[in-house]
Amino acid sequence: MIEFHSVSKRYSADATALREVSLNINKGELVYLAGPSGAGKSTLMKMIAAIERPSSGRVVVFGQDIGKLGKPGIPFLRRKLGLIFQHQRLLNDRNILANVMLPLLVTGAPKAGAEQRARAALDKVGLLDRAKAQALELSGGEQQRVAIARAIVNRPQIILADEPTANLDRVAADKVLDALRAFNSVGVTCLISTHDEQVLDGAARVIRLEHGQLVGGAA
Amino acid sequence: MSPWIRQHQFALGAALSTLRKAPGSFLFNVLVVAVALALPFAGITLLDNVRPMSEQLSVDPEVSLFVRPGATREEAQSLEPQLRQILQGSNAKIVFVPREKALDDLKDRSGLSAALDTLGENPLPDSYVMKLEGFNSTVEAARIDGIVEQMGALPQVDTVQVDSAWVKRLAALLGILRLALLLLAITLGVVVIAVVFNTIRLQVLTQREEIAVSKLLGATDNFIHRPFYYTGALLGLCAGAVALGAVALALNPLNNAIAEFARLYASEFQLAPLGPFEVAGLLAISAGLGLIGALLSVQRHLARMR
Repeated sequence: MIEFHSVSKRYSADATALREVSLNINKGELVYLAGPSGAGKSTLMKMIAAIERPSSGRVVVFGQDIGKLGKPGIPFLRRKLGLIFQHQRLLNDRNILANVMLPLLVTGAPKAGAEQRARAALDKVGLLDRAKAQALELSGGEQQRVAIARAIVNRPQIILADEPTANLDRVAADKVLDALRAFNSVGVTCLISTHDEQVLDGAARVIRLEHGQLVGGAA
Repeated sequence: MSPWIRQHQFALGAALSTLRKAPGSFLFNVLVVAVALALPFAGITLLDNVRPMSEQLSVDPEVSLFVRPGATREEAQSLEPQLRQILQGSNAKIVFVPREKALDDLKDRSGLSAALDTLGENPLPDSYVMKLEGFNSTVEAARIDGIVEQMGALPQVDTVQVDSAWVKRLAALLGILRLALLLLAITLGVVVIAVVFNTIRLQVLTQREEIAVSKLLGATDNFIHRPFYYTGALLGLCAGAVALGAVALALNPLNNAIAEFARLYASEFQLAPLGPFEVAGLLAISAGLGLIGALLSVQRHLARMR
């Protein structure tokens, strides 16, 4: 489902984020992407979502070469992905229901249907009772769960979670990870990046990156 | 409902929601744009009122031809076929005015009958009065000059006068006014585009995070751009309506002043507001200018965000 073939990313002569990375992630896998800050985890995730393009090598997602994907095709690729960011990037000028509806509205979905599905997504992360709350009224853990609801509302085939537990306490982090594992259990491919070794306890597959190079878990 | 209509409905809703969040700023921008639009709109209203009047005035210019003093009646009357030849192709009415009739008319009209009697002999020459039809455009008016020249070159002709010279001057003046108005409208149109451009620039900056997040969630460029286009068009439309309203309101006091002036010339002239088609056209132009400003701004600023 996700293939990296000798992928390198250079921002400048002195700044190389990824070096000759090759890996495969299959459909329905739950994969952790581990490594210290600056290892290239976020760059790797950005390439899957076509936010960054490789300087060399090929990134193939859903059978499409990201390097050859035209600008008009990018939104349609992203609609098949669920993106979760370290700083949730919720919109503070609207309530959380409106935040979760956004991925559906951008596709031209009817408002009533979008609201119904957003409520269902919030219910799955245990926040339906806070649907009308503003994002800033929620705790960090709750905001991250809203971000998960927003990521899953359009029923993505892949969830990319970039350091989703980085700013959370252990209890909140566990709730977030439990929610992601639950979606993986119904067949959604999940790639979760983290620099927290505790998160990796019991992980079936861990891809390790250091200084932009793959040091384990590529197969 | 088709997804296309739904997306436009969403974009319009998003634009209105943005305007509702900062109504003061929107109203201020509407006023700035309205001031810029009001001047050309007032000019268009004025020209729209004056145009039919000037067209009416320019109809049927009259040419007076005076026969050389001392020419016999036969010589004077022999000019008519030559005049008809010169006016060939024109719809003209030629009337010969014998000097005796001209004197009688002068006595009747001027009230100087006694004074004219003291002259002893008739000082007026035989003459022709020619009413020309269909010379109401600038090009046709120029043809009259050629006709006058040919008539003036005929033997026995002393003077040829065209009473449409002032009409030509008025037409030329209106032409200058039209051109000045066009230049003013272009200049102020650029001002409108600049104001909308800046308004949309600020909105793009304010909504930068929303734009970035929407893109990551799969929004197309069209989805992101549309609300800004609607905002620009709405700004132009509202400003156009305000400008037209202001011009219409200004007509009342202006007409009071014009009425007094027109009475001195025994005229009933009044400035009328623009008709519904003109109003619809100007509103469409206003919205179009807003849309152009938004298009330019969105293309420039969202391209930078990429």
